[in-house]
Amino acid sequence: MTPAGKGSGNGKGPIGAALVVGAGIAGMQAALDLAEAGIKVYLLDRAPAIGGSMAQLDKTFPTNDCAMCIMSPKLVEVGRHLNIELLTCAEVESLSGEPGNFIVSVRQHPRYVDLSKCTGCGDCAAVCPISLPDEFNGELSQKKAISKRYPQAIPNAYAIEKRGIAPCRNACPIHQRAQGYVALVAEGRFADAYRTILEDNPFPSICGRVCNHRCEEACSRSQVDDPVNIMAIKRFVADWAWEHPEDVRDAFEQGQYDSANDHGSLPLTGKRVGVVGSGPAGLTCAQDLTRRGCSVTVFEALPVPGGMMRVGVPAYRLPPGVVQREINAIIDQGIELKLNHRVEDLEALRQEYDAIFVAIGAHTGVKLPIPGNDLPQVLQATDFLRRMSLSNSRSEVPGNQSQDNRLIDQDPETILRDCRVLVLGGGNVAIDAAMTAVRLGASWVGMTCLEGRHQMPAHDWEIRDAEEEGIELFPGRTFKEITSEKGSVTGVRTVKVDFRGFIEGHPDFDELLDTEEVILADIVIFAIGQRPESSWLNQVNLGGNGRILVDPDTLATDVPGIFAGGDAVTGTAFIVDAIAAGRRAARSIAAYLNGEASPMPEKVASSKKVAELNSQEVSQRVLDGSTSAAPRTEIARLPAEERKAGFVEMFRGLSAEQACAEAARCLHCGVCSECNQCVYACQAKAILHDDTERLLSIGVGAVILTPGLEIMPGNVRPEFGYGRFPNVVTSLQFERMLSASGPFAGVVQRPSDGGHPASIAWIQCVGSRDNSLGQSSTKRGSYCSSVCCMYATKEAIIAKEHDALIKATIFYIDIRSFGKGFEPYIARAKSEHGIRYIRCMVSSVKEVPGTHNLRIAYVSYQGEDGKRPVVHEEEFDLVVLSVGLRPSHETHALAERLGLKFNDFGFVEVLRYDPTETSRPGVFVAGAFAEPKDIPESVIEASCAAAQVSALLGDARGLLTRTPEYPPERDVVDDPVRLGVFICHCGINIGSVVDVPAVVDYARTLTGVVYAERNLYTCSQDTQERIVRLIQEHRLNRVVVASCTPRTHEPLFQDTLKQAGLNPHLFEMANIREQDSWVHRSAPQTATEKAKQLVAMAVAKACKLRPLRRNLFEVDQRALVIGGGLSGMTAALSIARQGFEVFLVERQAELGGNLRHVFIESGRGEKPQELLDEMISAVVSEPRIKLFRRSEVISLSGYAGQFRTIMRQADGSQLDLQHGTIVVATGARGITPTEYLYGEHARVLTQVDLEGCLVQSDFMEGLIGRTVVMIQCVGSRDVSHPYCSRICCTQALKNALFIRRQVPDSRVVILYRDLRSYGFREEFYRQAREASVIFLEYDETAKPTVNPGDQDNLQVEVLVQPEERAVTLSADWLVLSAGIEPQPDNEALAQLLKVPLNEDGFFLEAHVKLRPVDFAAQGIYLAGLCHSPRCIEESITQAQSAAIRAVALLSKQQLQATPIVASVNPKLCAACGICVDVCPYGARVLEPGMTHAEVIEVLCQGCGACVAACPNKASQQKGFEFQQVFSMLEAAYP
Amino acid sequence: MSPELKTYTYYPGCSLHSTGLEYGLSTRAVFSHLGLELTELPDWNCCGASSAHALNHKLAYALPARNIALAQKFGRDLVTPCAACFNRMKTTDYALRTNQAQRAEIESIVEFKYTGEIDIRPVLGVLYEDYQPDRIASQVRRPLRGLKVVTYYGCLLVRPPQVTQFDDPDDPKIMAELLQAIGSQVMNWSHATDCCGAGLSLSKSTIVQALVSRLISRAREAGADALVTACPLCQVNLEMRQTERPNMPSFYITELLGLAFGLPQARTWWNKHLVDPRPLLHFLGLAE
Repeated sequence: MTPAGKGSGNGKGPIGAALVVGAGIAGMQAALDLAEAGIKVYLLDRAPAIGGSMAQLDKTFPTNDCAMCIMSPKLVEVGRHLNIELLTCAEVESLSGEPGNFIVSVRQHPRYVDLSKCTGCGDCAAVCPISLPDEFNGELSQKKAISKRYPQAIPNAYAIEKRGIAPCRNACPIHQRAQGYVALVAEGRFADAYRTILEDNPFPSICGRVCNHRCEEACSRSQVDDPVNIMAIKRFVADWAWEHPEDVRDAFEQGQYDSANDHGSLPLTGKRVGVVGSGPAGLTCAQDLTRRGCSVTVFEALPVPGGMMRVGVPAYRLPPGVVQREINAIIDQGIELKLNHRVEDLEALRQEYDAIFVAIGAHTGVKLPIPGNDLPQVLQATDFLRRMSLSNSRSEVPGNQSQDNRLIDQDPETILRDCRVLVLGGGNVAIDAAMTAVRLGASWVGMTCLEGRHQMPAHDWEIRDAEEEGIELFPGRTFKEITSEKGSVTGVRTVKVDFRGFIEGHPDFDELLDTEEVILADIVIFAIGQRPESSWLNQVNLGGNGRILVDPDTLATDVPGIFAGGDAVTGTAFIVDAIAAGRRAARSIAAYLNGEASPMPEKVASSKKVAELNSQEVSQRVLDGSTSAAPRTEIARLPAEERKAGFVEMFRGLSAEQACAEAARCLHCGVCSECNQCVYACQAKAILHDDTERLLSIGVGAVILTPGLEIMPGNVRPEFGYGRFPNVVTSLQFERMLSASGPFAGVVQRPSDGGHPASIAWIQCVGSRDNSLGQSSTKRGSYCSSVCCMYATKEAIIAKEHDALIKATIFYIDIRSFGKGFEPYIARAKSEHGIRYIRCMVSSVKEVPGTHNLRIAYVSYQGEDGKRPVVHEEEFDLVVLSVGLRPSHETHALAERLGLKFNDFGFVEVLRYDPTETSRPGVFVAGAFAEPKDIPESVIEASCAAAQVSALLGDARGLLTRTPEYPPERDVVDDPVRLGVFICHCGINIGSVVDVPAVVDYARTLTGVVYAERNLYTCSQDTQERIVRLIQEHRLNRVVVASCTPRTHEPLFQDTLKQAGLNPHLFEMANIREQDSWVHRSAPQTATEKAKQLVAMAVAKACKLRPLRRNLFEVDQRALVIGGGLSGMTAALSIARQGFEVFLVERQAELGGNLRHVFIESGRGEKPQELLDEMISAVVSEPRIKLFRRSEVISLSGYAGQFRTIMRQADGSQLDLQHGTIVVATGARGITPTEYLYGEHARVLTQVDLEGCLVQSDFMEGLIGRTVVMIQCVGSRDVSHPYCSRICCTQALKNALFIRRQVPDSRVVILYRDLRSYGFREEFYRQAREASVIFLEYDETAKPTVNPGDQDNLQVEVLVQPEERAVTLSADWLVLSAGIEPQPDNEALAQLLKVPLNEDGFFLEAHVKLRPVDFAAQGIYLAGLCHSPRCIEESITQAQSAAIRAVALLSKQQLQATPIVASVNPKLCAACGICVDVCPYGARVLEPGMTHAEVIEVLCQGCGACVAACPNKASQQKGFEFQQVFSMLEAAYP
Repeated sequence: MSPELKTYTYYPGCSLHSTGLEYGLSTRAVFSHLGLELTELPDWNCCGASSAHALNHKLAYALPARNIALAQKFGRDLVTPCAACFNRMKTTDYALRTNQAQRAEIESIVEFKYTGEIDIRPVLGVLYEDYQPDRIASQVRRPLRGLKVVTYYGCLLVRPPQVTQFDDPDDPKIMAELLQAIGSQVMNWSHATDCCGAGLSLSKSTIVQALVSRLISRAREAGADALVTACPLCQVNLEMRQTERPNMPSFYITELLGLAFGLPQARTWWNKHLVDPRPLLHFLGLAE
C-alpha cells in the first residue's frame, strides 16, 4: 500500500518522481505537466478532495467563465491520470535527503471511507444526523458529518469529519454512542436511534431507567447550563421502539450491516459456552457469543432471569415487564436458558462446555457485627428486595437464603405494615429498601448511615425523592447495637461521627462525644453492601469478600477457559458496568476459543482523542444558535403521595416532542457520532469507522509546494461588522452566494432574511494594503492582494446578471486592473453594467436596527461647488468585504517544517529571477504561496516549477511512469451487433426512483441486445471486472451503460472495453441519473419510462457505432523558439536543460531584447544587467541550443510534432528547420509618446530613457536641488492603447526611489491615475511615500498639460483629484511612464503560425485562465511580452512555463490524435471553404486547386463547428455521424 | 462563600466634583452599597486631559504620572470613573510600562520609581470583573423594567485598544451586560464608540451639534429612550448639544445601578441633568 518510490533503479541517479503539495489549480497543473513529461507525481492535499480554492469560485474574470466548468475537466484528467497518485487528507511531516533524492514523510489522516469502494452516491449523507457549517460554502449552509467537498469533487468519494469521541461516549463503560442516538432523536428518527443504541447496549429500556448515566456527568453542555438528559432520551427511544415494532423492523431491514461481524475475527460455529448467571453481564456475553455462532447455555438459579435487574431493583423503579421484554429479545436470538438451575459443580460444567463465563452477581447481603444483628426483625436489603420482586412470581424461591430470614418467609406484602422501619446504609440499595418499605405500609421509615448528607453514595435526587416520601434521614452516624426487648427489635443505638471517607475500604471517622441516640424501630434492614455467593467456586482464586479474581483485561480466571465478570468480580456496581464486563468477556472468550493470544482490542481504544469542548466553545454554540439554548427537560415523577400507594413506576417518560427538544440541546462534540447510520445505508460497504492514520515514506526527486492561500478573516477590520451584522459577508461567501451549487442555489439573497438585496456595496482592501494589521509582524497584510479589484468587479457584474435591478457600488483606493483584458473589463463594468466606483476608504459600517441594512458613510468631492469634501451616508442591503489573501497557518507551518525562508509578509521567499525556487534546493513553490496572484499567474508558475523539476530530474524521465497495457483489439466490424446493456442503481440514487429491473427487462427486448443486467454500482471496480468477463463470455461487441454522467465516467467504461479487447468507441452511455432520477424524483413511473427511452436511444446509436482509430504521429524532438529576448532565452535554456534540442531565432544582432534597457534594480538586490549577461553566456555556451541571430522565420508548415520552418539568415540565405514544437517569444516594444513634448523638449524622457541616465553620475549630480515630475499612463489606458501596461507604476516607483535615495536634495512628483503596485510592490509605494515622493492623482478626462518653462525647465499643470485643485509644477525633468505596445508585425507572424491575436494586437492564448501559455493550435506556445505586458520575473516564469508545455510534447515519441475528428465526404464537398473559416484550430485545408476540403486530423479537436457549418453535409464527425444521431432520434420518437 | 471585597483608591478628577457631580456621587453610593471601598487619592492633581496633552507632551505624561506615583503608595488599583482621566492615566501608564526611555524621563520629572503594581481601572471594568453581573443582579431591588437604553462609550474608554485594554473597541459589551443585569432593555445599535465631539463642544459647537444629533436620532431609531454613558464629557455633551425635541436623557451607568439597587439618594442626582430624566422615570414607574 505504501507508495514508495523505488528510485531510478541504479540508486545513483535522481528519482523520477516528484511530490506536489496542494492540489488546487496550481498543483493540478504542475502535476499534469510533470506526469506528461515523464515524471511520476504524488499529488498531496490536506482536503479530502482536490480542486483547492478555485472550486469555490462562481465565475472567473475577465471572461466570466464558470470556474467549475473550466476546472472540472482538469479534475477528471488529474483523477484519471495513470502517473498521478493522489494522496488526500494528507500532510507532509518532513523532508530529508537532497535534490534528486528526497525522502518525504507523509501523514495521511483517516478518511473513514474506503476510496476504492465509495462511488460518491451520497446515500450515506442522506441518513447522517449530524449537520455542521459547510466551510466550502462560507458557513452559509450546513453539511453532514459525512460529506463530499463539492458535487464534482475528485476523488468522487465521501469523507467523515471526526473530532474525537464525544465525552458522553467516552465516559460510558460500554461506550454507548449517546451523541449518535441523541442526534437521531433530534431528527425524529426514533427507530434508527433504537438501532444505534442496541449496537452497544442490549438493555436500553433498563439503562434508560436505572443507569447512573456517567454520560451526563461528562456532557459538555453542563459547562454552561445542564447536561443533556441522555438517560431520559434513551428511555423514550426504547419505550417508543417497543410500542412501534413494525417501524423498528423496517429500520433494521434497510441496511445489511451486522454488528456481530464487527466484533472479532473468526466465527465460532460449533463452540459451546456455558454462562452462569442471567444478569446483565451473563446475558450480554451470551448474546455477543451467540451472534458469533456459538451455542450458549445460560444457567440461572432463580426462577426468573435478569439477576439484580429483576430481583434487586424495585418494580416502581424498573417494572419487571420492562426487564422481561429485553431479556426475551436476547434469549430469542438462540440462547438456551435454564432457570431454577443452580450450578454447583464447575468442573462438570467445564467438561461439557468449551468455555465458562461466571457472572453470578453479588446477592448475599452483609451485616455489621454488632449486637442484635441476628434478631429476627433484622433483615438484609438484598433478601428483602428479592423477596419483594419474586412475590408475584409463581415459582418457589430456591435456596441461597440467609439463615436468619424467618421473618422474610412471611408474606412480604404484610410484614412491614404499620411498623417503624430503619434502613442502615446510604447507597442506592438502601434507598430502594426504604422506599419499598414505605410502599409496604410501614408507619415510619428512616435511614441512617455513616456518611454525611452530602457524602452519601446515593444520588442526590434519589435522596430528595426519599425525603419527599417522608423518609427520615439520620446521616453521619455509626451503629453500635440493635436494641431489643424480649427478642424484638426496639431500635438502633447510634453515635454521631465525623466521617472522612474510606481508606482502603475501611471507614475513617471519629465519634463525636455525647451524641449517642437510639433511633426507635421495629424492623431494621441492613443495606451496607453485598458479596457474591462464591464458596462453591473452589477451583478459581477468590479474593476478599468472596470476589472472583480475574485478569482485569481479559476477565480470565486462573483456570483456562473459565472467565468471570460483573458484580461477582467487582463487587456491587451498576448495570452498565456489568454489560461492559459481559461484552469484554465475550471478546476474550472468542479469542480464547480461536486460540488467539489476546482478544481484539476494544473499538473505542483509550488512545482515541476525546472531543472535549471548553466552556467558551460551548457558550458560543448556544449563543450562535447552532444548538438549542433551551433549558434541560427533566422527566416527570409521580407525586409522592401517589407513589407511596403502590409499585407503579414512579418516573414518567418524555413525550416525543420533549425528547426531540431535549436532543436538540446536544452540542455534537465529536462531530461524527459513529451512529452507524452511514454503515447501514452504504450498499458498497465503504464506511471504515475504524480507519486509522497512516505514515508514508515516499522517495521523490523534487518537491513543488502549491498549498494556495486562505482569505483574510472577515473580522480583520472589526469596524465593518463582519460576524456581528448578518448582511456583511466576505467576498468568498458572496462567490458561494452567486454559485448555482452554493448555499442559496444561485439566488442572491441576504443572510438575515433571505430577501433580495437591491443595493450591494463592496469594500476593497479589507486586510490588504493595511499597515495596521498584525502588531507582532508589522508588515503582514501591508501588501496588495492583487486580485480583489477584479473579483469585486466580477462579483458586481455577475450579481447584476442575476438581478439587473441590483445597484452595485465598489469603494476602492486604487483600481488595479493590470492584467491582460482587465482594463476593458472595468470599463465595461462602468459603462455597460452601471457599476459605481467610489474612491474612498470606508471607515466603518453601521447597521440599521430592524432592517439589518447597513449604512456606509463616505466622502466625495462632488459637493455643490465640486471641490469640498462632502460626507454622504448611504444605506445598502448587503455589504461585501473584498478580503485579501494570505498563507494559512497550516501552510506556514509546513514551510517551516521544510526549513524554508519566509519574506517579511509571511510568504515563502523565492529568488526573484528564479521565481519558483525556494531557499531549499529541490523544493519549488508556485501559486499564491509565494505572493498573492490570480489563477493564470498561478498556472504559469506551476508550469514553471514543473519545468524546473523536469530539468532537475531529466535523467530519470520515464523511469517510474507507466503506460497502460491492453490486449490486442478484436476486429468486430463485420460481426453482427451483439450489445450488452448495464443499468446502474447507483445505490439508491437511481434505483429509488427508476424501476431498474423493468428497464433491464425492456432493454432485453431491444434490437441488437444480447445481454442486459443491472448493477448496484456499475462503476465499481468489481463491476468493471465483471463487464470484461461478460464481454468475453457473450462475445459482446457493443456496450451501453445507463448510469450517471459521461463527463466523469465515460473514460472509465471505455477503458474497460479496451481491457476486454474492444475498441473503446463501441461504447455509449445513457445518463439516467442527472437527466432522469434526480430531476423526476416525484414521478417514478414516468421516470422509468424516460429511462427506457434514454436506454433505447443509446442502444440505437450503439448499433451504428464503428471502431475509431487514433492516428499516431511521430514527434520531432526539437523545439523552435522565436525571439531572443529574456523570455525566448529562458524558454530555450529551459527546454535545453530538460534535454531537448532548441533552435533559437533572434531577429536582431544582439540577444536580450528589452532587458538591454533595464538598469535600475528594484531594491531587492538584483542586477538586471548581470541577469542579461548571465543569460546570454548560458545560451551561447549551451550545446543543445542552436542560435540564429539576425534571422527571421519566413514560412511555416506542418503541425504539432512535425513542424517545418524556413528561416532567412543574416546573409540572406534560407534554412529549412524541422522541429516538433514552437515557442513564440517575440516580445513587445515601448510606446514612443506622442504627447507632453516628448521628442520636442530635451528634458522630456521616458522611464526607459531615464534608466539610461540614472546610471550616469553627471546626470545624478545634476539632479541636486531639482524636481523630477513623472506622468503615468502615457500611452496606456487611453483610446489608442486601452489596456494597462502593468509595469509602469512599479518602474516609476523604482526610479523615483532610486533618485530620492541617491539625491536626497531632490524632489520627485508622480502624477498618476491609479497606482498599481500590485502584490509586494505595494511596499515600494509605501517606501516611496516615506521617501517623500509626492503622489498627485489626475483624471483621464483632465490630463496634465506641459509647456516649456522660462528656462530649460517645464511647466506642468495638473488638476489634482479628488479636489480638482489646479496645481502648477515646475519640472526640471519630465519623465513619461510610457506603456508597452505589441510588435507591429505580430499580425504577419500570427498568420504564419495560424494563431489569433487579441484586439490589442497581442497574441491570444488558448484560454486566459487555464491555458495561459498554450495556443489553441497544438504544439505552439507563447511567453513574455508578446502575450501581454509583464515584468522581468513574470516573463521568466512564463517562459519556463511554455518550456515545460513544449517538453511535455517533445518527451513523447508519438502523438495520438483525438479519435473524434471531422471527416469530409469528397463527393459531397463543394469546396466552398466555409469549414476553413470556421475551424478555430487551423485543421482545415482548402488550397487552390483542391477539389474538396481536407482535415488535418492531428490538429482537429473534434469541436464539430465545421459539421454544423457545412451546407452540404459533406463534413461529418466521427462518433457523431448523421446516421448515429438520427437513429437516436428515431428511437426517441419511433 | 462571599469572595473578599476589594478596596480601591479613587481618582475623581475635576469633573466628578463639578460638572459630573452626580457621576461621582452615584459611583461612591453604588460602590459603598456593594461593599467596595473607595478611598479618594489624597493630594491628587489634574490629569491634564483638557489641554496638556495637546500642548506639552512632557506635561501630559507628568501630570498623570504624579497621580500614579501617589496611588502607588497605597498598593490598590486606581479607579478612574472619568473616561478622559482614565485615558490619560492609561496612556501614561502604558508609556511607563512599555517605553524604557520615556519611563526614565517621567520618573525623573515626577521623582518617583514606577513599580507597575497597580492598575488603572474604569468603573465599568471594576463592576464587571470584580463584582460581576450575576451578583449585581442579585442586588437589584427595583429592576429597571421597560427602560430601553443604548450603551454609549464614546471614544476614550476603549481606544486605543492596546492602551486601554478594555472591552471590545468595535463592539463593546460590558455595559450592556451590567444594564441587563439590572433589568433594563439594551437596544442594539452600532454607534456605541462613535465620537460625540465633546472635545470641540465649546470651540466648534455646530460640528458637535451635528454629531450629537446624529447619535440621538440613531438611538431613537434603535428604540431607545435614553443613552447610558460612563464619561462625564459625553454625558454633558449629549444632553447639552442635542437639538431635536423631545430631548433624550443620558444616564451615567452608576446612576442606573443606584436606582435599581433602590438607593434612596438616587433622587438627588436627577436635578443635575441638563435633560431631566424624571419624566421618563416617572412614566416607567421607576421614580417617586
